[in-house]
Amino acid sequence: MKSSLATRIVLVVMAMHAVVLPALYFGLSVVVSRSQVDVFIQHVRTLSRNLAEELELGDAIESRQRVVDMLDHTLLNGDGVYAEFIDNGQSILSNLNVRGVRWPGKQDFKFGQLGDHAYFIEIPVSRPGHVASLRLGFDEDPTTDQIQLAMHQTVLVLAAYLCIAVMLAAAWGYHFTRPVVRLQHASRSIARGDYAHSLRLESGVRELHDLGSDLEAMRRELVGINEKLREEMLENERAEERQRKLENRLRHRQRLETVGTLAGGVAHEFNNVLLPIVLYAELALAEIPAGSSAHQDLKEVLASANRAKDVVNKILTFSRDAGTPKLRAIDLEPVVREALRLFSALIPPSVDLQSEFRGPFPAVKADAALTIQVVMNLCTNAYHALPDAQGIVRVELANGSDPAGADGDKAMRSYVLLSVTDNGTGMDAATAERIFEPFFTTRKVGSGTGLGLSVVHGILESFGARITVDTAVGRGTSFKVAFPVTEGLDASAASNGSAPGVAA
Amino acid sequence: MKSVLVIDDEPAIRTVLQRVLERAGYSVRVAANGAEGLESLEAQVPDIVITDIIMPTMHGVDAIKAIAARFPAVRIVAISGGGNFGNSDYQPHTIKTEAYLAAAKSAGAHAVLNKPFHTQDVLQAIAAATGAPG
Repeated sequence: MKSSLATRIVLVVMAMHAVVLPALYFGLSVVVSRSQVDVFIQHVRTLSRNLAEELELGDAIESRQRVVDMLDHTLLNGDGVYAEFIDNGQSILSNLNVRGVRWPGKQDFKFGQLGDHAYFIEIPVSRPGHVASLRLGFDEDPTTDQIQLAMHQTVLVLAAYLCIAVMLAAAWGYHFTRPVVRLQHASRSIARGDYAHSLRLESGVRELHDLGSDLEAMRRELVGINEKLREEMLENERAEERQRKLENRLRHRQRLETVGTLAGGVAHEFNNVLLPIVLYAELALAEIPAGSSAHQDLKEVLASANRAKDVVNKILTFSRDAGTPKLRAIDLEPVVREALRLFSALIPPSVDLQSEFRGPFPAVKADAALTIQVVMNLCTNAYHALPDAQGIVRVELANGSDPAGADGDKAMRSYVLLSVTDNGTGMDAATAERIFEPFFTTRKVGSGTGLGLSVVHGILESFGARITVDTAVGRGTSFKVAFPVTEGLDASAASNGSAPGVAA
Repeated sequence: MKSVLVIDDEPAIRTVLQRVLERAGYSVRVAANGAEGLESLEAQVPDIVITDIIMPTMHGVDAIKAIAARFPAVRIVAISGGGNFGNSDYQPHTIKTEAYLAAAKSAGAHAVLNKPFHTQDVLQAIAAATGAPG
C-alpha cells in the first residue's frame, strides 16, 4: 500500500511511543510510589520516635491515664488509626482506636500489606525497670490516593506529550516532503513539455539538496538540448521557406524565359513574314499613281505592317532580344518626374495623380529612356484598373534597405523603391501570377496587346531590378520596383542619361 | 550594272528582294542557303552579297566568313530577323539580334540590317557597304 511519507513518519512515531510510553509510565509509577511511601514511612517513624522518647524521658509511663492521653494525642496529630503501648506485657490501648483496627501480630511490616490499609510500626521503649514497646498503626489511604493522583497526572502529561510528538512528527514529515512534492510538480510539468520550473530544492537535508542540484543540472541540459532542437527546427523551416521562395522565383523565371524563347522565335518568323509585305507594298506603291485609292490602301498595308513591327519589337523586348539597354548610374527622381509629366497629359482630370518623393536618392543602375517607359506603362496599367477612370494613381519613390536583400536577392541590400499604386479593381491571385507573361491581358480583346507588363518585366530584368505586385480584388494594386543602388556612385555626380523625350 | 547575290532560306524574301533590287538597277541572283550561295559565288562573283544570318545547312556567319576569306572584293550586307533558335552552333538562346549582327560584322560583313526593313533601308545599307552614295 502506498502512503505518504508524512503519514509514515506519524505512524512510526506513534508505534515508538506505544512501546516507550507504557514503560515510562510503569517506571514513573514505581519511582513516585516509592518516594511517597518513603516520605510516609519517614513521617511515621519520626512521629513514633517522638512518642517513644517522650515515654522514655518523662514520668507519664507511671500513669496509665497519661499514657492513654499521649497515645490519643499522637493519633489525633498524625493520621494514626491504632496506638498501643505494651509495658511489661500489659497492653494499654488508645481510646481513639475506634475503627477496630487490630494489630496484625507480626514484626516485619510493609507498606500496603494489610487489607485494612494501615501501616504498623513497633518501636522498643527503653526505660529502666520496664520491658516496653510502642505499637502504632497509620492510615495508608492518603498516601495511596496521592500516588494515584500523581499517576493520573503523569498519564495526562504523557498524553499531552504524545499529542505534541505526533503533531511535531506530522509537521516535520510535511516539511520534509514539501521539497519532494515540489520536485514532483516540476518533473510533471517537464513531462508535459514545460521546462521553465527550476528543480533546485531549498532543503536543509543534504541528500535532497544534492538531488535537487543534480536534477536541476539535468533540466538545464534538457532545456539546452530542447532549445537547440527548436532552433534547428526553426532554421530548417526558414531554410525550407527560402528554398521554396527561390524555387518559386526560379519557376516563374523559367516560365518567363520559356515564353521569351518562344516569343523570340515567333518574332523571327514574323519579321520574315513582314519583310515581303513591306517590300511588296513599297514596290506596288511605286507603280501606282499617288492619289488613287489603291495607293492609299497600300499605304494602310504599310502602316499596319509598321504596327506589326512594333508589336514584334515589344515581344523582342520581353525576350530580351531587342538589344542591350544603356545602363548607367542615374538619379531616378527627374526621370520619374518626366514620366509623370508625360503621363499626366494622357489622363482625364477624373484621375487623381499623386506623387511623393522621399529623397534624396542614391544613383541606381538603369536606362533613363526605358525607365520612363516602365513608369508610363505601370501608370497606364493603374489608370486602366480604375473603374470609369475614377480614382487615385499614386507614385512614390523612396529609399529602401534590407540586410537580407530585397525579395531575397542578396545583391540588393540597398535600393530605391518605386511604387505605383491604384485604388482600382485589383486582381485575384491567379491573374497576379501571370501578369508578366506576354500576351496575357485582362482587357477586352482588341483593346491592347497584353505586352505592357511583360515588356516592363523584360526591361527591369535587364536593369537587375526587381518588380513585385501586391494586389487584392476590390482593394487595388500596387507595383513595387526595387532598383539596385550603384555602389560608390552618387546620383548627382552620375551622368543623368539626358532628359529623354517620349519613351520608345 | 552592279550584281547582287541574295542568300535567304525564305523564298518570299528572296523573291521580293530580287524584285526590289532589280527595280533599283541591280542584277540579282538568289541562293537558299550559305552552301548554295558559295556555289553560286564560285560560278560568278557578284559585287554585293546580301545574306540572312539564321539559316539551315550553313549558318550565315559561317557563310560570311567563307565569302570574306575567298572573295575579299565582295561587299557583304547581313540581314537578320532576330529570335532564338536552338539548332545553331552559336548558342542563340543567349545571343541577341545585336549580337548576331555584331558576329556578322566581325566575320566580315560591311553592313548589317534588322528585318523587317524598307526599300530605302536596304539600298542605303548597300551604299554603306560599297562606300558609294545610294
